[in-house]
Amino acid sequence: MKRSPEERELEALLALSRQSRAKLQRLHEVLTTPGHYGTGATPATVVYRENKLQLLRLLDADGSPYRGPPVLFIPAPVSRYFILDLLPGRSFAGYIAAAGFDVYIADFGIPAKEDRFSDLAYYVDGLIRRCVRTVASIRQEASISIVGYCLGGTLSLLYTALYPSTVSRLVLLTTMVDGDFEGGIAWIAHRMGLEGESYDNPRLVPAVEVKSWFEMLSPGSNSVVGRVSDLWNRLDSSPDRLRDVRTMASWVDDVVPAPGRLLAELYREFGPGRNKLMAGSATVGHRAVDLNNITMPVMSVSAENDMIAPPEGVDAIRSIVPHAEIVRLRGGHVGIVAGRAAPDLWEQTAEFLGARAD
Amino acid sequence: MADDESKDEPTLVERWLKDQQEWQKTALAYLDSMTKNEEFLVHMGNAMRGSLLAGKPYPTASSATPSTPEAATDDRIDEILHALHLIQGELQDLRMTLSELASSESNTPGSSGSSRGAAKRTKKKSTGRK
Repeated sequence: MKRSPEERELEALLALSRQSRAKLQRLHEVLTTPGHYGTGATPATVVYRENKLQLLRLLDADGSPYRGPPVLFIPAPVSRYFILDLLPGRSFAGYIAAAGFDVYIADFGIPAKEDRFSDLAYYVDGLIRRCVRTVASIRQEASISIVGYCLGGTLSLLYTALYPSTVSRLVLLTTMVDGDFEGGIAWIAHRMGLEGESYDNPRLVPAVEVKSWFEMLSPGSNSVVGRVSDLWNRLDSSPDRLRDVRTMASWVDDVVPAPGRLLAELYREFGPGRNKLMAGSATVGHRAVDLNNITMPVMSVSAENDMIAPPEGVDAIRSIVPHAEIVRLRGGHVGIVAGRAAPDLWEQTAEFLGARAD
Repeated sequence: MADDESKDEPTLVERWLKDQQEWQKTALAYLDSMTKNEEFLVHMGNAMRGSLLAGKPYPTASSATPSTPEAATDDRIDEILHALHLIQGELQDLRMTLSELASSESNTPGSSGSSRGAAKRTKKKSTGRK
């Protein structure tokens, strides 16, 4: 039956109404059913605690520790650790454990007000060093492998230069080393006032402010209007896919506050115009960092579409650790570790870390 | 037969009415969740900001800790707390060193019974932490 233009218009409006309602029904389903968020996906036990830090040891399905060479994951202290152990089947740390390694993850926790005084030495020479000691002691090994992600990679690099005999292999993921490179989160933070952070009279930089630096990397898409529009478009996906998105969002938007003293020191040491890693004059506390001490195998991975740690600023490590294996993979800063193409990184990392254990 | 088929097909008005009923069901489902589930309110608030963040409110400027008149006193307490954290770290290092010493002593061939006993006691103390 031929419909009039008015009837066709009403048909179209009805179809639009149906689609919109379906989106809201999917949203309701996702918001009211339990999902996985806020913690790592793989069973783990806490083997060491200090202040807010918990050192986790991954366990297998029977609740037993994995055997094989020990590997310590160091995430960025300004974000939650579980990006490295996001979901069953989408866990970097879980993959490495299943590949035959005894995996540990440093969960730095959420800084409180008194932690604003924590500096580089506290993290590198304190927390990380004691994590490495704990793992080495548990496994009775003189040295272990370390995988550092983002700022966790910077801290791992500094630690390894200070204590090279305790590290057998070092993997750095999306770790900016060239502070003069114009782009990335450190550069944005500098433009938004990081140089104003006081070392002597620090504040606890609120999570919302830390988040604003990341949001400035893509201003349009991270406005409220942009986010709501993006979410509305995503609601065409299946509820299962939306639950995965929710898990990721629960990491992306769960930024933690940052110790002002640490940020002040990072800017003073590695910020634009200082760039002491590249200049070879970095210090941690009163100790000089000599990158020539790093002689063990090193792999540095950058992501092609990384706006937080641009690959050029990451790959610059070749000039300060000449023997480092430089790998560039498809993906962004987070996707490379926990996205759909992340298994590329996981496989390469497992291969680099060594043979499968018996 | 074509006439019979067109009679079975709902009219636009009927379809519009059905659509309205479905919207009412959807709205009731949301209202029901809002009244019975506090967590849903938080998650809905996050969704209205375009985020599927679960488990806590979306970080905003108003959720940042405001400074208070007691800030000066808090600063001193915070410095003390931080110093205590540093001391905790030093003590952990000491514990680890003692544990390593005990372990290497018990592994040393020909070490005396008394020192082995002392090493075992020290190791037992230091491995009590979970």
